[in-house]
Amino acid sequence: MSLYGLIAAFAEPDALVRAASAMREKGYRRMDAFSPFEIRELETILEIRRTRLPWLVLAGGAAGAVLVYALMLYSVEIDYPVNVGGRPLHSWPPFAVIAFEAAILGAALAGFVGMLWANGLPRYHHPVFNAETFSYARGGKFYLLVETADPSFRKGVTKGQLTRLGAETVEEMEA
Amino acid sequence: MASATAPAERPPPVLRGRHDFPEISGRIAGVVLNGRLPRYFWAAFFLCFMLVLVFFYAITYLIAVGVGKLGIDMPVVWGTMISNFVWWIGIGHAGTLISAVLLLLRQPWRASINRFAEAMTLFAVAMAGLFPILHLGRPWFFYWLLPLPNTHMHWPQWRSPLVWDFVAISTYATVSLLFWFMGLLPDLAMLRDRAKTRGAQLFYGILAMGWRGSARHWARYRVVYYLMAALATPLVVSVHSIVSLDFTFAITPGYHSTIFPPYFVAGALLSGFAMVLTIAIPLRWAFSVEDLITLRHMDNAAKLMIAAGLIVAYGYASEAFFAWYSGEAWERTMMVQRAIGPYSTLFWIMLACNVGALQLLWFRRVRLNMPVLFAIAVIVNIGMWIERYVIVVSGPSRDFLPSAWGDQSLTWLDFGILFGSIGTFFALIFLFVRILPAITIFEVEELAEETGRAA
Repeated sequence: MSLYGLIAAFAEPDALVRAASAMREKGYRRMDAFSPFEIRELETILEIRRTRLPWLVLAGGAAGAVLVYALMLYSVEIDYPVNVGGRPLHSWPPFAVIAFEAAILGAALAGFVGMLWANGLPRYHHPVFNAETFSYARGGKFYLLVETADPSFRKGVTKGQLTRLGAETVEEMEA
Repeated sequence: MASATAPAERPPPVLRGRHDFPEISGRIAGVVLNGRLPRYFWAAFFLCFMLVLVFFYAITYLIAVGVGKLGIDMPVVWGTMISNFVWWIGIGHAGTLISAVLLLLRQPWRASINRFAEAMTLFAVAMAGLFPILHLGRPWFFYWLLPLPNTHMHWPQWRSPLVWDFVAISTYATVSLLFWFMGLLPDLAMLRDRAKTRGAQLFYGILAMGWRGSARHWARYRVVYYLMAALATPLVVSVHSIVSLDFTFAITPGYHSTIFPPYFVAGALLSGFAMVLTIAIPLRWAFSVEDLITLRHMDNAAKLMIAAGLIVAYGYASEAFFAWYSGEAWERTMMVQRAIGPYSTLFWIMLACNVGALQLLWFRRVRLNMPVLFAIAVIVNIGMWIERYVIVVSGPSRDFLPSAWGDQSLTWLDFGILFGSIGTFFALIFLFVRILPAITIFEVEELAEETGRAA
């Protein structure tokens, strides 16, 4: 078993934010934070890039609309044209209704699947679950993880820094 | 915090008292994990389950013997199946409004009621979806509405509102399910980490998909969650507009009206908020979560009912006015017959419920009195069902030629299916409350953090 990183628990979200930004100033980059709800300040501290998922949602919506519209056109123009008193085969107003619903369906599916895929979920094993002190919910704690892969990582030094920043516990986490 | 010096006009606070995170998650998750529910909970569930059995029996009978056993008859060939459908789909809409529209408008008070409102949407849509299929006469051919390759070489009629309806309802059900499940994900992880038994750990663990609350995950989660809300908002408006087009595309007097789409959407919100209150008032009492689902929620939901109800009242007035203004004899006759004809009792009850009783909600004292508010919510639920029934039957029963006029009278099967569906809906709500957290834990914690900071 090799060491994956050090996980420090904080009692308050503010303490986690302060510790994360202090560790960043000390040069740490391979960090992650865990909290029972989103803490917006962490986005800049952890250099979380803006997600490109909205483009995927747009693509999903466009694909849904185009595919279903094409299906309707194929059915009325090519596969089974029915001439009703000379009315146009391509009646776009009703087709737009169905294409709209298909766009919403495609976009929502793309968003949901894309969110899971980008987050690497479902993933039932992760080193963080090996930590004794880590519980997503039980203690209402806020966690900061410093990975061993960080170039500035020195086990003893990093542990001391985290403790001085007010961590309640600092645990060595097995990979 | 409401202090003694606060002026009476100030709205009650969203959350009452101070809360810390373990307390919130412990209380909400405890309902699910400790599994000690009061005896009356199971007694009420048992009653609903009896109605589930009635529902199964009635559906089996309907399929085996045929739709002729319902009250429908020439010329009134649409009946309770259609009014049940419109009623249930309308009830679903308030859940989407609370979860999506109020999220986009950044109304923090939605946090403690959105979860069960979304569950309500799902179960209501599940009920609604059954009725058009059962009404087909040969329900086993319902898949003909799908564009499937088949040996008959036939395609769905894309220009028919019934096909739009099928597409809209199935999209709505799918998107509601995804949105609901996505909102559940962090709470399922919380239940996984709090569960004591191996079975519960596995059950919630598998559903939670390994969610661990990483800051990177949260960032993507929020963006997509807001996008889903932004998609659900136009969807919900389109769904009920399409439902109303099922009527307006026919030239039947009383169906053929351009006010229908907005009027139906407002009616959906009115009945939906009535159902939210019908569920929330007993729920907050039974589980003593009056400090999380507060009077502020009840007050706001009641105000939204008034707003939607006034649009519905405008719809009634507009229907009557345009029947007269059109100058067409059959439109005018239909409207007069609605008020004095065979269904006039129902018409006046509908007005008394949806326009009359609703006006009591103007009074703050009524909005904050839970038994009275509950009674009004139930009255509006009944009134909205009657509204749909009146719309469905009064047009075909009094159409163009007096020689073709006719009535329908309801049979035991109509009532068996209606009350069976109500029982099934509430049985599902009971199971949901037992198995999943009825209040969104992570959003309430976030709210408590924000209000704690502001205080």
